[in-house]
Amino acid sequence: MSEALGRVVATERKPNTPHEFHFWTAIDSPVGIGTIVRVDGANPMDGQIPHIYGIIVEGFSYTDLQSPMHDVLGHDGLPTTAGYAATERAEIRLYTAAVLRQIPEEPLQPVPMGQVFLAEEADVQVALRMDSYLREGANTGIPIGVYRAGGTEAVIYLDADFLLGPEAAHLNITGVSGLATKTSAVEWLLASLFKHFPEDKGSIAAVCFNVKGPDLCYLDQPGKVEKSDEALYEKLDVEPKPFQRVEYFAPYTAKGLTLNTFRNNEALLDNVTPLTWGLREVLQFAEVLLNRDDIDAKADALIDFIVQNVVDKEFTDPLLSKTHRVQSFADLDAWFRDVLQGMEKKDGESWRTHHVATIRKVRNRLSNISTRCAGLVTDAGTVSDLPFGSFEDRTVYVVDVANLEEDAQDLIFARIVSKLREHLERRDLGVKHLVVFVDELNKYAPGDGADTYVRKMLLDIAERGRYLGLVLFSAQQFRSQVHRRVVGNSGTSLFGRMDPDELSTPGYAVLSPATRTKLATLEKGQLMIRHPHFTQPIFVRFPRPAVMQGREGSERYPQASEVSLDAAILRALRPLDPTITLPWVQDITALYTQEEVIRARNATLLARPDNVKAYFAAQFRKIIPAQAAPRPMAGSIKSAPENDPYGF
Amino acid sequence: MLVGNSSPDAASRAAIRLLMDWLPGSSVVEGSADLDLSSRADQPQLISADIVEGRTLRAIKVPGATRTMVSEFGAFLDGIQRVRVIGRRFGVPLVLGTTGAAVRVRVNRRLVTWGHHAPKLEQKLYLPFRYLPTLAETLRAGSPGKYDRFQVVDTSLPDASGAYPSEHPTVLLERAIRAVDRERDGLEDGLAEAWCAVGGAPLFIDGGITRSERIASSENAIGVIKSHFTLYVEGEALKTVIGLAKGERSSVFQVTPKSRTAVMSWYLRLRDPEGHDALWGLVRIEMSKRENPTESADEISRWVLLETSPLALPDGRWDKMSYGIRDVEEFLRAIS
Repeated sequence: MSEALGRVVATERKPNTPHEFHFWTAIDSPVGIGTIVRVDGANPMDGQIPHIYGIIVEGFSYTDLQSPMHDVLGHDGLPTTAGYAATERAEIRLYTAAVLRQIPEEPLQPVPMGQVFLAEEADVQVALRMDSYLREGANTGIPIGVYRAGGTEAVIYLDADFLLGPEAAHLNITGVSGLATKTSAVEWLLASLFKHFPEDKGSIAAVCFNVKGPDLCYLDQPGKVEKSDEALYEKLDVEPKPFQRVEYFAPYTAKGLTLNTFRNNEALLDNVTPLTWGLREVLQFAEVLLNRDDIDAKADALIDFIVQNVVDKEFTDPLLSKTHRVQSFADLDAWFRDVLQGMEKKDGESWRTHHVATIRKVRNRLSNISTRCAGLVTDAGTVSDLPFGSFEDRTVYVVDVANLEEDAQDLIFARIVSKLREHLERRDLGVKHLVVFVDELNKYAPGDGADTYVRKMLLDIAERGRYLGLVLFSAQQFRSQVHRRVVGNSGTSLFGRMDPDELSTPGYAVLSPATRTKLATLEKGQLMIRHPHFTQPIFVRFPRPAVMQGREGSERYPQASEVSLDAAILRALRPLDPTITLPWVQDITALYTQEEVIRARNATLLARPDNVKAYFAAQFRKIIPAQAAPRPMAGSIKSAPENDPYGF
Repeated sequence: MLVGNSSPDAASRAAIRLLMDWLPGSSVVEGSADLDLSSRADQPQLISADIVEGRTLRAIKVPGATRTMVSEFGAFLDGIQRVRVIGRRFGVPLVLGTTGAAVRVRVNRRLVTWGHHAPKLEQKLYLPFRYLPTLAETLRAGSPGKYDRFQVVDTSLPDASGAYPSEHPTVLLERAIRAVDRERDGLEDGLAEAWCAVGGAPLFIDGGITRSERIASSENAIGVIKSHFTLYVEGEALKTVIGLAKGERSSVFQVTPKSRTAVMSWYLRLRDPEGHDALWGLVRIEMSKRENPTESADEISRWVLLETSPLALPDGRWDKMSYGIRDVEEFLRAIS
């Protein structure tokens, strides 16, 4: 057993309580804010020596100097002479610790006087109640980082039952931008989850929304791992490797030629799938794209009518010039046009109770969607989507929405989360547990502002997701500005380096001033953790993720610029068939419009056929190449008389 | 010497219970406090001493006293005593005396308790057996084990002339105080002798060094006296001493107390007395007799001057007290 490093002290003015105690140490004692200590009581209770575990939350230092003026007088007002004093003043290091656990736990009494020891690894497990979920045969521990203090190195585990449900769930991480702490922490935690999530609890996957920058775009590429991080990986029993299975999804740019993602370098396209939706997929979430003024009761009724009776159905009406089968935005626009023309002919103001103004308004708003979400929403109705129903275990699905307009981001988020939820409810997603990572919660679930569809979705996940296995990992810079029910439902909270202004908000009042100061100065790779089993926040260090960082990735794999149509087709199809060449593409597509070529490409990418060339060529309507008309045989020209005086 | 005024503590209460057992009918002195021993009726006096540095006593500027010098004192010794009248039987005061002494060694500019000899701390009952007739009988019968922590000192023994003290309460209290004094002196001397036997760096002793031959003759023991009930100067020499400026010392003279060991001594002004009383910042230093007193007095004076930093505030005697001695007193206050 190690030597005592301190002694508990209590005075009438500063007494100990069941939740807090004070102790002093030697000047050079290796303790500080966040250090876990153990107090051994002197008197047995029910035959058991009490052990109290605490974490240092405040520190004091002072000398026997009664007034600063005495020091000034003692050194004749010359600070430079102070160092020559023969003796240093008596000095104290006095610490306040918050109780983590008392053993025995009953009766709960004020902390007794006793010796204070630095907590060893076994003590840390007991102090944080990790012993309850690290049992042999029932181990649900997920390593989150290493606690370090005074030579003690202890792995800190989160309880999977409280991280992914069913007991509690969700994780929220807060920290200032620019230190890569939030993204790095989530990447590391996903790696740890994939390694340590108990097999008997079923499969697990993650869907990450990349909302800014390229940070999540190279999860399958190896990154630099420092020696110090290698040691951490070994201690935490996780291999320092990039994710083995990652699938990327991104819509096209507005022109439709290249994917709108940082990861559109040709070398990385093999696991990047276009994300394109048609009318059917979008109309279901029209509410996301239409503001409150748009969707009054009348407009809502018309949209419902269209969804119920028009889309994907043979629709006939005496008013219409023909039978419509609406499967795309183009079809829908044709249907609207026919309806309005019919009404004009009849000079009627309403059709099937819908007023002409409402019809015009809804037409305008819905037709606008394919423009506002160009690249994601296709007129033609081609659908390329996440593999709902066949999600694979330990796979990360990254949806890159970083370069999209806000409307498109909202639509993607709302639809994907809704689909995930539907499938999890039906238990047919393909995995039992799914982590959804969303950054920038300040934007998507603000505490104030309009009650958007996305915010409602996030609230729904936060409040009910854990029963379905749908777990929200969220991140933001300012926790105080996120909706309280989102962060409040997060069983586990991580804090990286914090902005002092944020720390001054009421939500952090429960932390001691010293803990807040430490939070404001945390290094990269350090986190403060709150977890249901831990009665006090704990500081840990986690390794840098073993994946390529965004900056390095974007330098090594530069984003592809917009290219010609032929080059874009070549780039899209070559991963499916390396024998495809630019001349071949040019030869096949020469006679067709850009829309037709893009439609053929999308269909081919969706089908991923064995014979790519044949499938791609088959998508085009037959056009017989114009042939030069045979030159008529030239008639014989009468020969001029030999004696023709005008002949040449 | 520390004089405390703490309220009744666990030791006092235990002692009172013991006395109630031994001396039924005794009265408890409610809210008894430590006696302020500085109010004792010692008469200030002037005594002439033999000058051993020159012919007349003069003021000498201590040479080379700068802040960048290093004090060679390796440790500090001081003691405490507390006298508390905890009860009375008729007019006889029943006294609990607490004495202690400790050496604090300087290691890397910080003071720690000397590991060679543990600090001494004793609590005894000081009772005049002669005027408590049943007490001696009770003690002969043996005291209950639970009270073994208290030794009992008879304060009514006859003096050198064979005279017993009168039953006057003040006389008996004075006897008890003197006995506690002696007890503390004994503890201090024991530690100082142990230090001198071990050797090493000079020991800064709070008070004189003449009580023990072994201490008084050791070059490792330096006594620094803050109180001046006795001034070893008269006439012009007195004026010289009173007129010492900061950083000046007097010539070295020899002190030869009755029945004690002769030592060399001098006065040193630690702080500027301007605006203060005549004895402000004035200490008297004692060292063993030696061949070249001038050199030793200069060197030791420099050390003592250096020990004035840091200030011993908030102690009221900070003008004369070194920080090391204050540290010892605080230490003893903490453990007693």
